[in-house]
Amino acid sequence: MGCSMIRLEGVTKRFGTVTAVDEAHLCVDRGEIVALLGPSGCGKTTLLRLVAGFERPDGGAVEVAGRTCSGPGTWIAPEERRVGMVFQDYALFPHLTVAENVGFGVPRRERATRVAELLEIVGLTEQRRRYPHELSGGQQQRVALARALAPSPELVLLDEPWSNVDPFLRETLRAEVAEIFRPLGVTVVLVTHDREEAFSLADRIALMRNGTILQEGTPEELYFSPASRWAAEFVGAANVLSGPVVGGLVETPLGTFPANGSSTHADASVLVRPELLELEPDPAGPAEVVAREFRGHDVLYRVLLEGVELVSQRPSTEVVPLGSRVSIRLHNGRVPVVD
Amino acid sequence: MSNGAAAAVSSPRRRAPLPLVLAAGLVAAAAAVPIAYLVVRALSADEAGRALVSLDLTVELVVNTALLAVGVVAAALVVGVPLAWLVVRTDLPGRRLWGLAASLPLVIPSFVAALALLGALAPRGLLQQLLEPLGVEELPEVTGYWGALLALTLSTYPYVFLLAAAGLRGIDPSAEEAARSLGSGRAAVFFRVTLPALRPSLAAASLLVSLYVLSDFGAVSLMGYDTLTTGIYTRYEALLALDAAAILALVLVALAVVIVLLATRFGARGTIYRSTPGAGRQAEVVPLGRWRWPALAFCTSVLGLFLVLPLGVLVWWSVQADPITGRAGIAWDAALNSALAAGVSAAVGALVVLPAALLAWRYPSRIARFLERLTLSPSALPGIAVALALVFFGARVGGVVYQSLGLLIFAYVLRFMPYSLASTRASLDAVSPRLEEAARGLGRKPLGATVSVVLPLARTGILAGAALVFLSAVKELPATLLLRPIGFDTLATRIWEGTALGAYAQVAPSALLLVAIAAPLVYLLSWRNAWELGAAD
Amino acid sequence: MRKLTVAALAAVITALTVVAGAATAPEQTTSLTIYSGRDRVLVEPVLDRFEQETGIDVNVRYASSTALATALVEEGRNSPADVFWSTEPGTLGLVAARGLLKPLPQATMNKAPARFSTRSKRWVGTSARSRVLVYNTQLLEQSQLPRTIWGLTNSRWKGKIGIAPTNGSFQAFLGAAIHLHGEARMRTWLRGIRNNEPRTYPNNTTTVQAVARGDVAVGLVNHYYLYNVLADTPGLPIRNHWFQSGDPGSLVLAAGVGIVSSTKKHAAAQRFVEFLHSKWAQRFIARGPGAAEYPVVRGVPIRPGLRPLAQVKGPKYSLGRLSVDLPKAVRLLLEVGLLK
Repeated sequence: MGCSMIRLEGVTKRFGTVTAVDEAHLCVDRGEIVALLGPSGCGKTTLLRLVAGFERPDGGAVEVAGRTCSGPGTWIAPEERRVGMVFQDYALFPHLTVAENVGFGVPRRERATRVAELLEIVGLTEQRRRYPHELSGGQQQRVALARALAPSPELVLLDEPWSNVDPFLRETLRAEVAEIFRPLGVTVVLVTHDREEAFSLADRIALMRNGTILQEGTPEELYFSPASRWAAEFVGAANVLSGPVVGGLVETPLGTFPANGSSTHADASVLVRPELLELEPDPAGPAEVVAREFRGHDVLYRVLLEGVELVSQRPSTEVVPLGSRVSIRLHNGRVPVVD
Repeated sequence: MSNGAAAAVSSPRRRAPLPLVLAAGLVAAAAAVPIAYLVVRALSADEAGRALVSLDLTVELVVNTALLAVGVVAAALVVGVPLAWLVVRTDLPGRRLWGLAASLPLVIPSFVAALALLGALAPRGLLQQLLEPLGVEELPEVTGYWGALLALTLSTYPYVFLLAAAGLRGIDPSAEEAARSLGSGRAAVFFRVTLPALRPSLAAASLLVSLYVLSDFGAVSLMGYDTLTTGIYTRYEALLALDAAAILALVLVALAVVIVLLATRFGARGTIYRSTPGAGRQAEVVPLGRWRWPALAFCTSVLGLFLVLPLGVLVWWSVQADPITGRAGIAWDAALNSALAAGVSAAVGALVVLPAALLAWRYPSRIARFLERLTLSPSALPGIAVALALVFFGARVGGVVYQSLGLLIFAYVLRFMPYSLASTRASLDAVSPRLEEAARGLGRKPLGATVSVVLPLARTGILAGAALVFLSAVKELPATLLLRPIGFDTLATRIWEGTALGAYAQVAPSALLLVAIAAPLVYLLSWRNAWELGAAD
Repeated sequence: MRKLTVAALAAVITALTVVAGAATAPEQTTSLTIYSGRDRVLVEPVLDRFEQETGIDVNVRYASSTALATALVEEGRNSPADVFWSTEPGTLGLVAARGLLKPLPQATMNKAPARFSTRSKRWVGTSARSRVLVYNTQLLEQSQLPRTIWGLTNSRWKGKIGIAPTNGSFQAFLGAAIHLHGEARMRTWLRGIRNNEPRTYPNNTTTVQAVARGDVAVGLVNHYYLYNVLADTPGLPIRNHWFQSGDPGSLVLAAGVGIVSSTKKHAAAQRFVEFLHSKWAQRFIARGPGAAEYPVVRGVPIRPGLRPLAQVKGPKYSLGRLSVDLPKAVRLLLEVGLLK
């Protein structure tokens, strides 16, 4: 993949004794939508702020659109980077109207037309004279987007843009944002701790932990081929089954799986996503349903198989009663080896 | 912020721009001038100078000053806290009006308060004349300690009232509700939850009040109560005893430092209390029921004593010539001078603290904190100490500087910029650094972002700071007496001169004018308070 | 927009500085700066007349004579003052001793009797005044009044005495008494006074007013404040009492004037000093509205009804000594606790 928009080379950032970002490497290509996904405190927001220029790295280099913005002996101030930023709390200027907020970063002679254009895009033309506190959360976010887009940046950074919005609204807003960004061809980097958010929006996801980027890839790659057991569990519910490797195969209660080069005699683990486990009521089955959680469009079952507890996700149209014996069938799918 | 480094991110350790540090450093250095002078001067005192500061006398003055400070703080708390609670938390009839009236004595300078109280409460003063038909031939004299206590309580309880009211509004009602649900009665909640939550506000208010008492000269002098400030003034007035004055001034500064440390220990930061914006719901309104009448009686008697009585005396004097000294007109020229000097000081005082405030807000570091503290330090200095220092430096520089309006304004700014710094800081703290970053991200340079986003958002605090500087400068007496340009009379000096000649009635119109100039600002300040209350719910 | 705002702020600051500067910029040629220890009411008419006659503008800094003397010493060669007009010889002596006053021409010195000036010619008397005991005629008969200051320590005066311990004339009286009777005796006297719980007032005027109100029965003051207070309100029950001949309580003091060494307007300052010895000024000092001092220039009549100076038998004391004795008085007052 290319690095035409962002290239981070071994970027490090410390706050006192805490290393927030630890020799991170990342590439983003022009026009991509990339999500920085990770748990709280993994350094993803700091990484974003390093790109925007709100933090100076303690080591490594940050390149934006082919220009070295920070590195040894180099520093470009945030206002020179032409990077749009949408803050977690939107950071709208409370003393300015919607139109004034949007026009803030636009040169005076283009301001009127550009503001009108963007308000049209985000659908807030009628609210142009309102102040931020007179808007709903969703409208505020659209103002924040419009303001970031107004100076026509090639790169827009979004910091947890939906963390302050209630879950019902989130999906709508997500769709809205995607609709706004895609046609403009803007490169977007999004910070989130919500995997669904990352999956639904991003072309590519960079998974972060403890200040480093563990894995980069498409949502599918991340989901089905996680680089580690931790990654597997972070991006979705996971059954991790361990067993000895015999003849290039891992032996598990569910059967044998290719060990992908894991050496013989050692133990290895494989990842089985819950949706791959089909349950069939069977009085003589080897497993027993020990818990059942109805979730609307699907149901989570916990089944005990040879002393190992497994999670299975089934459509809610199938009903398997609690306590019944079942046999387990593995649906066709990838079962990768994980550390 | 879902980031573990959240705390660090919100206070990024970035290098502060050099011009900002230099500007803040310059202002802080100016703030350090008086102390430096006092130390130099006190160290250079010779035998004769030291002879004018005996240990016994110093101890007596320190004890007197401390006793007065303790008494005034206690009295101001006793008056201010119940008033605030009644106005903020109960269904007291006309509470908004009471609230406004309760903060109004802030405009009455302590020496005018003393003057009016002396006139009203003298053994054969106005009150006695009113009571004469009832057979009251003579009232007990209210001078000395009790007189000073009364006058200073009048001038300072509004600080307690305003800060306690703001504190009460800022308290999250859920804590009180939780206490109620845990079985505490209303009184128990007040003492176990509300009052402890008010502690920072009350500590801050007590600090303000005690520093006011420490630096007061006019009221104690008129009431004939000897404190460190009158001791300093006596030595200034005595022949060539400036060294002795400097030694006593240092003692006073030391006492102020002790008080600041005590207040800090009691749980207050050295700045004015700031209620958390958007505290959400307002606490329930306590129905007073039958207690309404005692409550109203309390409000009436407090404001009767502290507002109606002094203003009434001044009005009475203005219309009715004193039998001994006659009467005089209004000193319009002095009023103009007062407004000019205080106005310029307010503008300058609001501007010069911006570097320190911005530095402390945006680039917190040990240096920023040090510069901020240094800039706040003159609040612990009595006006006369500041004035002595500037007389010394001004006289050495000489020329156009010495005894110029510029030097007087410099003194006002030096004395009162702590108020504008505290106020500006409080409002800056409420501005998210994200907003500045947002402006930077949209292409603004640091200065541009500050001017177009940060300062407009902090403007209420900056303006309130300017108003406080104006209010304090227009009432200022000791530094004005020593530093004003030749022939430059302010209302305060006119009033003071008139009282020195016993011509109370002659200066009453000027005193009323002074109150009238200051009153709109207090209205503005308390209106802002009310507005914040409105914005919070 | 932002540049405009910054520029506007800068302009406002500059403008304010200029206004502040312009309001106080001293004019070099036609104005004279006077440090006056004398009260405004006693000075302003004299200055108005001087301005009219000479066309010289006068700026005045009013304060106590001691404070002004301190200021002059503190300011040294940078002092804006041209003339120091003091109520009290001790302050003039101390300033002169530091070389801050210029010698005056002999002709000027000759205007006033030698007892009201110095041999060093650094200052010259402009008026004379006597220390007296002012009393309330409704509360006391003349016969009840003490014949010497020593009588005031009698306990029957408890709570009835008014003094102004910060006042230069009171301190001068005490200084002279220290020289005449010794420090030990005056310490005893002051303690006696203190034990009688006197009321203290900021100055002579307020002391006389307090006597008029009856707040106290007697007050140790200069003689002419009585007339000043009576001019405002005729008929008040107050009268002056002179102690017996030679008593320090009847000390005759002088107000005097000197020219500040650093002045650049020597001619104008000299004219001002001469003006103070003019018939008009002397008559105003002696008989102007509310005024009742003794003139120092021969041939100017005193206020009718005022006891002639020749009948005021104060102690023999050289006023030039006050530069030494005045600080002693201040120390003693502090020691005894009448000053704090």
